[in-house]
Amino acid sequence: MNEPDRKKTSHKPLLTLNSIAKAFGGVQALWNISFDLKEGMVQALIGPNGAGKTTLFNLITGIFTPDSGEILFDGRPIGGKKVYDLVQVGIARTFQNVELFGSMTALENVMVGQHVRTRCGFWSAVTRTPWMVKEETASRKKALKIMAFVGIDHLANRRSSELSFGWQRLLEIARALSSSPRLLLLDEPAAGLNTVETRQLGTLLKKIQAQGITLLLVEHDMGLIMDISNRIVVLDQGEKIAEGTPREVQSNEAVMSAYLGRSEH
Amino acid sequence: MLQELLQYLFSGITNGAIYGVIAVGFSMLYSSTELINFAHGEFVMLGALGLVSLWGGLGIPLPVAFLLVVIGVAVVGFLFERLAIRTVRKPNPIVLVIITVGASIFLRGIGMLTWGKDAYSVPPFSDHDPIDLAGAKLLSQSIWIVGIALFFVILLHLFFKKTLTGKAMIACAISKKAAWLTGIPSERMVLLAFFLSTGMGAVAGIIIAPITMCSYDMGTMLGLKGFCAAMLGGLGSLWGSILGGFILGILESLGVGFFSSSMKDAIAFFLLLLILYVRPGGIIMAKDIKRF
Amino acid sequence: MLKFLNRDRLSYAVFFIAIAIIGLSVENYYYVQLLTFIGINTILALGLNMLMGYAGQISLGHAAFYGLGAYTTAVLTVHYGFSPWLALPCAILLSMLVAFLVGLPTLKLSGYYLGMGTLGFGMIVHIVFREWSSMTGGSSGFIGIPPLEIGPVSFSQIRNFFYLVWLTVLISFIVSKRLIHSRIGRALRAIHDSENAARAMGINTRNMKLEIFVFSAGLSALAGFFYAHLVSFISPGTFSFIVSIKIVTMVVIGGMASVWGSLLGASLLTMLPEWLHAFSEFEMVVYGLILMLVMVLLPQGLTRGLLDIYERTRSKKDQP
Ligand SMILES: Nc1ncnc2c1ncn2[C@@H]1O[C@H](COP(=O)(O)OP(=O)(O)OP(=O)(O)O)[C@@H](O)[C@H]1O
Ligand SMILES: [Mg+2]
Repeated sequence: MNEPDRKKTSHKPLLTLNSIAKAFGGVQALWNISFDLKEGMVQALIGPNGAGKTTLFNLITGIFTPDSGEILFDGRPIGGKKVYDLVQVGIARTFQNVELFGSMTALENVMVGQHVRTRCGFWSAVTRTPWMVKEETASRKKALKIMAFVGIDHLANRRSSELSFGWQRLLEIARALSSSPRLLLLDEPAAGLNTVETRQLGTLLKKIQAQGITLLLVEHDMGLIMDISNRIVVLDQGEKIAEGTPREVQSNEAVMSAYLGRSEH
Repeated sequence: MLQELLQYLFSGITNGAIYGVIAVGFSMLYSSTELINFAHGEFVMLGALGLVSLWGGLGIPLPVAFLLVVIGVAVVGFLFERLAIRTVRKPNPIVLVIITVGASIFLRGIGMLTWGKDAYSVPPFSDHDPIDLAGAKLLSQSIWIVGIALFFVILLHLFFKKTLTGKAMIACAISKKAAWLTGIPSERMVLLAFFLSTGMGAVAGIIIAPITMCSYDMGTMLGLKGFCAAMLGGLGSLWGSILGGFILGILESLGVGFFSSSMKDAIAFFLLLLILYVRPGGIIMAKDIKRF
Repeated sequence: MLKFLNRDRLSYAVFFIAIAIIGLSVENYYYVQLLTFIGINTILALGLNMLMGYAGQISLGHAAFYGLGAYTTAVLTVHYGFSPWLALPCAILLSMLVAFLVGLPTLKLSGYYLGMGTLGFGMIVHIVFREWSSMTGGSSGFIGIPPLEIGPVSFSQIRNFFYLVWLTVLISFIVSKRLIHSRIGRALRAIHDSENAARAMGINTRNMKLEIFVFSAGLSALAGFFYAHLVSFISPGTFSFIVSIKIVTMVVIGGMASVWGSLLGASLLTMLPEWLHAFSEFEMVVYGLILMLVMVLLPQGLTRGLLDIYERTRSKKDQP
């Protein structure tokens, strides 16, 4: 949060996908996907249900490994790296179906997000060394600050499973932000939100972008996408069918027929 | 040497058939409900002690006693599903493990209250002389055991392949939602699965009764070995389970014969751990196990 | 944060005073001994609760670690003439080492398979206790484990043993509480709630589970050490499958993910057989029923379950 000087002026790609492919059994979930994501951008990933968007997220975050192709983060290949290494280098995500730690408080949820940025192990937890106490206090403070940034600091001590769905979505974003990511992947952040909440989400995402964090989001809400994204990539049945600025994509024939024409959105 | 080997083989196949029948019980239940019943062994115990009472005690003719015991035990399984499993609000594995473990202790306690701590035995199903094969003795009860085991497994196989209800159960196992959409009452299928699975447990208990000492605490070990056999052959597969049973039985009796009898029970557990670690899909079925 | 710490410290102080008062006032040898057993079982339950309640990983073979602690100290003190205080770290370390080696492959499993895996492991260890007679005395048991003493203080005095065990309980509580309310504890609870999300937050779930498994085994071995030196006689039966289940029952009844729940569960389950003395036959039936009923009615255990009910009624009152 404290690195506002990474402006979106630097236009080198933060994430590069080179002909990624992934199949599950007989289902070719992704085929030959390539695109760049420039640092500081908000890029949207759209496509009808089952297009492979979530699968792509799972590949970028290291949950699955691609069958072929390579993924570069900040110029370095990240294929085969463990999930926790990728969080360490600065990739954070939220889930399509909110996955919070239900028995923990909102604050604790956000603190878990800092797991890779803190060091306290078994031994220091038990002995409560001074640096561990200091780290814990700092971590708590940072978590509260992020919650305030997202607008949910008043919920800090509520159990996360008791929160309303809209708050839960925001809490997930706060949790992801607290790992100090450079790239934030959001899987349908507006799903289940009402129009007011969606508008507020748009403002929040712009604020996040202004912090210098690059965003890749999967979304079905076209209003939100047109409002905040710099670029759009369109997937259909596992293949990339279009890419460009919102305006370009909007007028793209293939997209019209494959996506907009066929789905109810 | 050959005679010894043959003798071990006979006893291995006999035990193996029993493990196989127990394994089939585990497998069936797993494939239609994705549940592993830690109390399964206790239903084997109920089967064995039930036969001790009805046939040995009351002198009811064997075929009738057989049928009564199997149905009686299956009814207990039915009640178990109704009263304990169905009522769980959050059916996550840890809760279900604890519930079925609780049921297992409970049933064992009931067994102890009913039959006491004594061990019982019953005579073989028929008093033919052992058959002599190259010096090794094949007991008539062994033939009964293997025959009955195969009979029931074939029966189950036909049930799943030929009858509508059986096919419906398989459909349920493949996808609850799809089954529901096509109008198959999946709740009733789960009940039926419990009924059949515990019934198979009773069959195993009945056929083992003449060759072992039957007591209230015999179930746990048998249940574990049955589970081990099911894992060996591939949990969820009928023929895999039976095969797993034979493999376990034979390995065990060879181990006892050539190493030491004290290690008999350890063999099953080593195999179980080995298979869990190395090839959780079982040796035949390389199907992924969902909960990994 | 400060407030919270103070509340914890307060409860430790109350606990400490309670130990002192009980220790000074209870005269009857039998009751002091019973209370000491409760303490040992509390350590045992706490160990499993850290694994099962907080990290959400089941173990049906925890009696194995309990037994490893007891047998290691028995063998070292009797056969090799170790001082018990030297045998103690050996017992704990051995138990932890075994937990590490067993946990490495086992903790990859989850749910039913972890249950079966740990159960199988517990059985094997039990068989080893029974069959390795030259070391363990076989099924007839191991006699003549020396009592504990520090300088002039002899713990063959049951009252001293009582203090020793309960102070250890207090320390284990503090250690566990500190763990739970740290980065490590949060990670463990995260694994319990959603392993997927925990992994996506960068938690190395496999290492985390392994570490808590090892910690839990260490606590169980500590309990085993006390048991062996208190009773001076151990046999495989004390560490059998049914004992593993008893430990699970303590955790389940008292409440998963509750340190004080371990105390409650251990107390109830240690006294239950005493209450049911006349009907010891019913012991198993009762355990089984308890396990099933608690899981069906109060899956959070008594402490949590009752607390939840209390909170729910209170919040209902708050919102007219
Ligand atoms: N773990 C998996 N195992 C098998 N198939 C999978 C798995 N994950 C995804 N798939 C398949 O891959 C395809 C793409 O799924 P994915 O979830 O990526 O779509 P999506 O674009 O996120 O859709 P939605 O808009 O519904 O979220 C689907 O056909 C899905 O069934
Ligand atoms: Mg998706």
